[in-house]
Amino acid sequence: MIDLFHGPLFAITLTLLAYQGAMFLYLRSGRAAILHPTISGASLIAIALILLGQDYHAYYRNIDWLTFLLGPATVALAVPLYRQLHLLRNMAGPLLITVSVGAVFASVSALLLAWLFGANQSTLLSLTTKSITTPIAITVTQDIGGITTIAVASVILTGVVGITTITWLFNKLDIQDDRLWGFCLGLAAHAIGTSRAFERSPVAGAFSSLALCLTGTFTAVFVPIAARWFF
Amino acid sequence: MLAGLLTLLGCQLAGEFLQRALNLPLPGPVLGMLLLFGGLCLRGSVPKDLEAGSQRLIELLPLLLMAPAAGVFFLGAGFADQWPGFIAAVSLGTVCTLVFCGLLIRFLQRRNSRP
Repeated sequence: MIDLFHGPLFAITLTLLAYQGAMFLYLRSGRAAILHPTISGASLIAIALILLGQDYHAYYRNIDWLTFLLGPATVALAVPLYRQLHLLRNMAGPLLITVSVGAVFASVSALLLAWLFGANQSTLLSLTTKSITTPIAITVTQDIGGITTIAVASVILTGVVGITTITWLFNKLDIQDDRLWGFCLGLAAHAIGTSRAFERSPVAGAFSSLALCLTGTFTAVFVPIAARWFF
Repeated sequence: MLAGLLTLLGCQLAGEFLQRALNLPLPGPVLGMLLLFGGLCLRGSVPKDLEAGSQRLIELLPLLLMAPAAGVFFLGAGFADQWPGFIAAVSLGTVCTLVFCGLLIRFLQRRNSRP
């Protein structure tokens, strides 16, 4: 009986069940950021494992083939990037400069703050990708030797912080242009920001997904190269 | 949809191959994404199968991410002293990034729209 808990069947059933539960909660709450399926699904899995007295690492070994699909999912991001490319036409200069400077700023500010608060090297490595979309973040983090779990958590929480603060911040700064608003949110808060931007307007959403793709690509190119120099 | 998935896997495989052959610092899937992007630009349109396959995969992302994300609850005592840095980077870092990017893009946009 007990051996049923230690196979892939239990692991995949639990994961799919948590996914269904998470989607239900998320849609029921009217897409509240704090109930984003990755957060609520992960919490449901953790609760189930603790209640059943199961070991997380044993569970993860049975399900890690699912994370293999993050590879093709990263490749798939080329499609939305291609679709949003036309938006660059009139504003290429400002957008490209903001992406490259902003993506470096996002990584460096995270590193500096974490370092000031006493984070160690593996935590720092896992935080460099916090502003980029999760599949790319995981690929890059594994590549430079960070901890996947921390990278995922930092990406998701960054998204939540981004969408809960932007309205207030950009009202204070008096930035109301949907293009700029969406672009900054996509840059700083990736896919979670992009779904919030689509709620504001289709224009904000399109600029946000363009920023998400450009930031992800740019960071994926510069972080591994920078990491080779510094670590 | 399977033909689309095949395209994605093929691009990833080509990316992984390039990374190893040229010893590049970029992850294979990211190279695969750049290859596919280049291919789409050359082709000038997105094949229907690829559109469907990538759409499905992108929609399923939360499912793929839940298991690694759950690990955050099981980091153990070894990570306890890392939380302040983690929280500072995620909260303050994100707010700073938004403000910085907002000011920068507005400045660039105003300069750009001036004749």
